[in-house]
Amino acid sequence: MSTAALHAEHDAHHHHKESFISKYVFSMDHKMISKQFLITGIIMGILGMGMSLLFRLQLAWPDEQFSILEVLLGKWGAGGKLDPNFYMGLVTIHGTIMVFYVLTAGLSGTFSNLLIPLQLGARDMASPFLNMLSYWFFLTSSVVLCISMMVETGPASAGWTVYPPLSALEKAMPGSGLGMTLWLVAIALFIISSLLGGINYISTVLNMRTKGMSMNRMPLTIWAFFFTAVLGLLSFPVLLGAALFLIFDRSAGTSFYLSDIYLDGVGALENIGGSPVLYQHLFWFLGHPEVYIILMPALGITSEVISTNARKPIFGYSAMVISLMGISFLSFIVWGHHMFITGMNPFLGSVFMILTLIIAVPSAVKVFNYLTTLWKGNLRFTPAMLFSIGLVSFFISGGLTGIYLGNAALDIQLHDSYFVVAHFHLVMGSSAIFGMFAGIYHWYPKMFGRMMNNTLGYFHFWITFITAYLVFFPMHFMGLAGVPRRYYQFTLVKEFDVWMDVNKLITVAAIIAGAAQVLFIYNFFYSIFRGKKAEQNPWQSNTLEWSTPVEHIHGNWPGEIPTVYRGPYEYSRPDREEDFYPQYIPDETSTDPLKSTKAAPAPDTKEPEVEPVNSVFFSALKRVFGWS
Amino acid sequence: MLLPFVAMAQTATDVVQPPKEFNPAGWDWAFIAACALTVLIILVIARAFDIGSLTEKVTGKKVIGWTKVNAWLAIIIIIAGAAGITYEMIYHGKLILLNDSASEHGKTIDSMFNWTFGFTFLVFCITEILLFWFMFRYRYREGEKALYYLHNNKLEVFWTIVPAIVLTFLVLRGFNTWSRITDPSKVSKDATQIEVYAYQFGWKARFAGDDNKFGESNFTFISGTNPLGLAVGAEVDSLMAELKRDISKIDILLASAADSSRVWQTALRDLEAKQNTTAYPEVYKDVLTKATDARTGAYVRNLNKDKKRKQTNLWRIAEYKKNKDFFNNAANDDKITTEIVLVKGKEYVFKFRARDVIHSAYMPEFRAQMNVVPGMATQFAFTPIKTTAEARKDKNNKDFDFHLYCNKICGAAHYNMKIKITVVATEQEYKEWLATQTTVVAPPVVETPEAPKTDSVAPATDKTVAVIHN
Ligand code: HEM
Ligand SMILES: [Cu+2]
Ligand SMILES: [Cu+2]
Repeated sequence: MSTAALHAEHDAHHHHKESFISKYVFSMDHKMISKQFLITGIIMGILGMGMSLLFRLQLAWPDEQFSILEVLLGKWGAGGKLDPNFYMGLVTIHGTIMVFYVLTAGLSGTFSNLLIPLQLGARDMASPFLNMLSYWFFLTSSVVLCISMMVETGPASAGWTVYPPLSALEKAMPGSGLGMTLWLVAIALFIISSLLGGINYISTVLNMRTKGMSMNRMPLTIWAFFFTAVLGLLSFPVLLGAALFLIFDRSAGTSFYLSDIYLDGVGALENIGGSPVLYQHLFWFLGHPEVYIILMPALGITSEVISTNARKPIFGYSAMVISLMGISFLSFIVWGHHMFITGMNPFLGSVFMILTLIIAVPSAVKVFNYLTTLWKGNLRFTPAMLFSIGLVSFFISGGLTGIYLGNAALDIQLHDSYFVVAHFHLVMGSSAIFGMFAGIYHWYPKMFGRMMNNTLGYFHFWITFITAYLVFFPMHFMGLAGVPRRYYQFTLVKEFDVWMDVNKLITVAAIIAGAAQVLFIYNFFYSIFRGKKAEQNPWQSNTLEWSTPVEHIHGNWPGEIPTVYRGPYEYSRPDREEDFYPQYIPDETSTDPLKSTKAAPAPDTKEPEVEPVNSVFFSALKRVFGWS
Repeated sequence: MLLPFVAMAQTATDVVQPPKEFNPAGWDWAFIAACALTVLIILVIARAFDIGSLTEKVTGKKVIGWTKVNAWLAIIIIIAGAAGITYEMIYHGKLILLNDSASEHGKTIDSMFNWTFGFTFLVFCITEILLFWFMFRYRYREGEKALYYLHNNKLEVFWTIVPAIVLTFLVLRGFNTWSRITDPSKVSKDATQIEVYAYQFGWKARFAGDDNKFGESNFTFISGTNPLGLAVGAEVDSLMAELKRDISKIDILLASAADSSRVWQTALRDLEAKQNTTAYPEVYKDVLTKATDARTGAYVRNLNKDKKRKQTNLWRIAEYKKNKDFFNNAANDDKITTEIVLVKGKEYVFKFRARDVIHSAYMPEFRAQMNVVPGMATQFAFTPIKTTAEARKDKNNKDFDFHLYCNKICGAAHYNMKIKITVVATEQEYKEWLATQTTVVAPPVVETPEAPKTDSVAPATDKTVAVIHN
């Protein structure tokens, strides 16, 4: 506590001149780091989306030649035809980029960095230096992943889950050579980045809240980032372990995952006693929490955006926090639902099925709470609001199909089919991307001091929303008809011929969706320079970040850090003229010493804060974890 | 290997000879142009709307009320969504595999699906309609104030309990269905076993021969002529001889490693001196790799690795050979086939074995799937209840066949890794088919004084099965 305070002091009083390098490149300011994460994430997102369009071309017109493929991919698109190995590579890197680079680092990295200090009233992160390292590890990792696309034998191609033995044996497929090594290096760097970020987020949330900002007055965004960071901190090291074992198997001759293998052109291998299923356990121990690492920040952003733009308190604040907590806890004990038919003991499958379906309950609670928040609201349709509503829609459609896939009996039929592709693209892909868009549109004025263009935002929303459904909804039917995923081409199975027109529809919709993103990218970069200048609190929001000046300063607030007097969602209070009541406005009628204006605001965070604990739940938390 | 050739650089060499029929001025340029045009049009329209909103500010008159537009779009989404989903259900819904299971247990899966669909579809409709209805109904109105509504414990408990009850129901049903399907102890003793074997990229099935017993197998026995690695004495002996030959070959290569290194270095210097590196890029690359490997010692290291691997293999086989129970000739009359034939109404256990990487045996028509994992035995038991002929009639498609697909990414030809399953009506048809399949080892020719019954005895053409090894 005291070091944090000292640090804040230091930042507040030294406004040294910054060079270009220290301001824009090796910046330690959380706001700049957040922008770095965002822009890197957007660039990776463009790459990931571009790849999906390339392989969608292949799926829709497998017999056509596209000279663009040869231009872009060289030998992998020789003659205008996509190479089957490279198809796998594209799918793998598409998945990796979207899951890790865009929706983990790009989403959580951007908004945790931006909002944790601003919404909690801190001058910066607990450790700005580690924060900077976190970004540079992420950037290095992105560069390594991009380089892996260009090696002679192609990128990693065993799917984003890179199951051994396929990923462990160089002779099993070309992508398992140097490309796979680089993939592992990239992921190791990525994990380091995300651990550095996570430690920082957690310590900042726990230690650096401003006076009056008790845990139960934190905006739901912060709760979401907090749980996300905890999940990451507990699960990413397991992936690092899994990756290390894989590295050993690949190059040190160990047999963690390998046993009883005969490879064409090589012969019987020496490895004996390992288990490929072990890798899957380790991978999904991260893999499942990972989908919540992706989703929870998006849900947090949505809570904030919906409440602000509905001009209405979020319905059931405690229920929202408890359901986040429930989801976080449960997400660690359901990983086996990805492995029902790996040959795992069927009884274990039953246990995982039960736990998995329990997780549907807190998810349902969140949906109902969002709906009730909208009910009798006064909805302002900013683009951010529309994207948040879109998120809720995707979260419902995609979440419900999780009830099928979590049911082991149904998973026998649905596992690895296009039904799965439909499910996760809706519930984690589209939802989280929409959450990210909502966040960008909403906090753009905070990040860049200018407004994005609303009209373009509306077009962007409606086109993306409709095409996303057109792309992913029909995939349910393909999956139910037994069409497997990760197939290079469907024309070799005549039973799948009937789906070719659907494949074409999906690809056309995907191309339109891609085109709509041009609107966004144009809007984003154009507005940085030419957008309308933002007001200080353009959405009439309650939270602390809108009390900082429009022009960024080091240390966030020019004077003292504001004190917090109430929860973040006091919209449309009947006793007030205005329909919002910012957290930092003192309450004139209250006699509570902390809430009273008469008590001079204490200089920030030096004194132990008096925390009004007004619920049994939070006091229990406090007792158990010793949080202050 | 040491030089990460950049794919871009590669194009330089590969583009030189494009395939003959390749036409770079194909229609896809038109296509790209169309895409670009679409983007442009969208941008222009958006810009136009924007200018509209500018005039709004200047003139003070509302040109477009975006609140209204968005609210009405929400209504349109409800209507269009309902129409789209109805269309999908009618048009594509009839193509899905539901309520037409070709296996006994599949019916329970289908019924599970129907229950789940009932609940989820109801929730889907209610929540999505509410979402967009609220969007329309509670759109922003000047001067209106939202309801200050913090929480309602009764309501929240209600919508926690109701999903919990529904899910409990689904879980219990799912649990029952799942354990009935997968519990190995529920498989009857006389279920017929079939070994299903997966490799990059294909499937083989093995049926026990007349002795009704599978021969042993092990991955160390696999060879070109013994693709499943069965414990067949003669096969394994010839594999051992081959391994020994290979090892002595490696020894010779190792002895002359220094010489060959010199040869490659010289060749490389020659190529570079004569500036043939660009004229024969393939040759140059090959020589460069070999010379580099020789220089860095990778050549010798790899030879030694290979030798050690073969020695281990040899040693393991020798150990197995000591076990007489292993080489009990049970494999000799097994039959390896490239098609699976089943009898309707009989219970089967598929025993899965993988040669190289993980595959997955996916039989959607039978609602069956199980991963095939190297080093781990897996199985799936089911009873087909529909013959191929019946399925053809049901589907009104006389070319229809059941298939087992690979459903776990396994390499470049993953998408083309399947095996046909034929379900016949009677045991007799199955026996006739099996009789046409050759045994692993040809049975000794029995001297019979009477006229040979050619129609029921399988004519063994070769010592080993004539399987296409790809
Ligand atoms: C333009 C939008 C997108 C399109 C058209 C698209 C399309 C696809 C398709 C068709 C596949 C399956 C390929 C196959 O099985 O052969 C796929 C795989 C995948 N996609 Fe997307 N996708 C899009 C956006 C996203 C987003 C936003 C995410 C973020 C979660 C995502 C994550 C994944 C993952 C994890 C896979 C699995 C990769 C694998 O099988 O290893 N995609 N995508
Ligand atoms: Cu999961
Ligand atoms: Cu396969």
